[in-house]
Amino acid sequence: MKLKHSLFSRRQFLNGLLGGWLAALLASFLYPVIKFVFPPTREPDQVILPFADFRQMGPNSVKTFLWGAKPGILKKKDDGSLLAFVGVCTHLDCNVSYLADQRKFFCACHDGWYDENGQNIGGPPPKPLRRLVVSIEEEDLIIKREGEERVEDL
Amino acid sequence: MKTGIQSWLDERFGLSNITKFLKEKTVPQHKHSIWYYTGSAILLFFTIQVITGFMLVFYYKPTLEGANASVARIMTEVPLGWIIRSVHSWAASFLIAFVFIHLLSTWLTKSYRKPRELTWMSGVFLLAASLAFGFTGYLLPWDDLSLSATKVGTDLPRSIPLVGAWVTKLLRGGEDVTGDTLTRFFGFHVSILPVFIFILLGVHIYLIQKHGMGLPLVAEGKKEKMREIPFWPNFVFREMVVWLLLLGILFSLAIFFPPSLDKAADLMAAAPEGIKPEWYFLFLFQTLKIFPAKILFLNGDTLAVFLMLLAGILFFFLPVMDNKPTEKKGRIITIIALVVIAYAVVMTVWSLL
Repeated sequence: MKLKHSLFSRRQFLNGLLGGWLAALLASFLYPVIKFVFPPTREPDQVILPFADFRQMGPNSVKTFLWGAKPGILKKKDDGSLLAFVGVCTHLDCNVSYLADQRKFFCACHDGWYDENGQNIGGPPPKPLRRLVVSIEEEDLIIKREGEERVEDL
Repeated sequence: MKTGIQSWLDERFGLSNITKFLKEKTVPQHKHSIWYYTGSAILLFFTIQVITGFMLVFYYKPTLEGANASVARIMTEVPLGWIIRSVHSWAASFLIAFVFIHLLSTWLTKSYRKPRELTWMSGVFLLAASLAFGFTGYLLPWDDLSLSATKVGTDLPRSIPLVGAWVTKLLRGGEDVTGDTLTRFFGFHVSILPVFIFILLGVHIYLIQKHGMGLPLVAEGKKEKMREIPFWPNFVFREMVVWLLLLGILFSLAIFFPPSLDKAADLMAAAPEGIKPEWYFLFLFQTLKIFPAKILFLNGDTLAVFLMLLAGILFFFLPVMDNKPTEKKGRIITIIALVVIAYAVVMTVWSLL
């Protein structure tokens, strides 16, 4: 069927075209701006540390290492096995400390508490401390990300 | 009489319209007139911030390696540097205190009612800009306290679905608070926020001049004409007395209680015990502290952030909601205002205990 009248006028058509061009132009300006202000993320897939630096750790003690821009915490348990955590509170990202005498991790910002395995036990933290996977290969201590999802229950 | 130069300039700029306006402007006198002085007090502190800010920029270095040491240098080596930094720090507190007073007086006298809704809304933006100045400025000395406060403050938006993580990344310049965050905050503090605040101030002051001084509700209904004084010179001279008083208090506090500077922040160190944000964020800080980890199925902090956002939006639209100020709805909103003030005071005191 042929329509007798056009569905929109020449002016509407040209305005739409011009508006579309302007929108495309704006988007082409905005895209590089947005790309520019977000720097690439820096979380490492793994870090390799000399095991010699950590061999002397006593039971129930911790040592920190650099996990990207965050502090990582390596903890030696009483049985001599090693645990690794990302040392930031799951509440609002403050760095936590380990209180060896109380066998707890503590976040001073809003009074957050975790047990010695990083399980959240008091205050506002909603999740356990993020765990990392530790393995020893000859003289190297290799610390890797756990899969994408954190293990919720130990 | 106009001199030759004055009339030459006037022919080109047309400034006589403005001087004529200021000569004819009047300020009503009534029992709530005292609140009229808070606006110019804010401008006074703002001017001090601009001038002392210019001065501090001459010596401050916005980098991970240089920031703390450059502030230490300002405090110890630069001639009178400690006074300049102290005044900048104290005037920031005064400015925000007066912004709160200015805003609460507007709320309680309901001066935001028609046609001044946009004046209020531009004022809420100015409040946000002032708090953003305070928040970004707090990081610049780069010590332990300022680092933890920034980590918490920039992590808060993460709770907002979809955009939150990007906002955190935008503010931090990456996933974590690092030296990049410091440099970025410096950029916010000295170039981006100043542009916004000057535009907002321009809009706010224009609107105040356009609509004239607001009257309290009780005064509006009365038949007899209210007593008024000329803005120039009577009111301005009274304001000057207030400014002198405030300057005296400001400089006394700045000289006797200069701000401290801790050792440079260590990105790897645990948050120090007893950390606190600036006093104007204490009520939010305490709120975050008492929110439990889980409320029903939601994270406590997610809920807290949502409540803060909701409160901000309601606050922005107050004049639209409070459109019948003399009726029951208006009285309920006044009671809510008092409850909000009481909440903020109680939380602030609690956080200090």
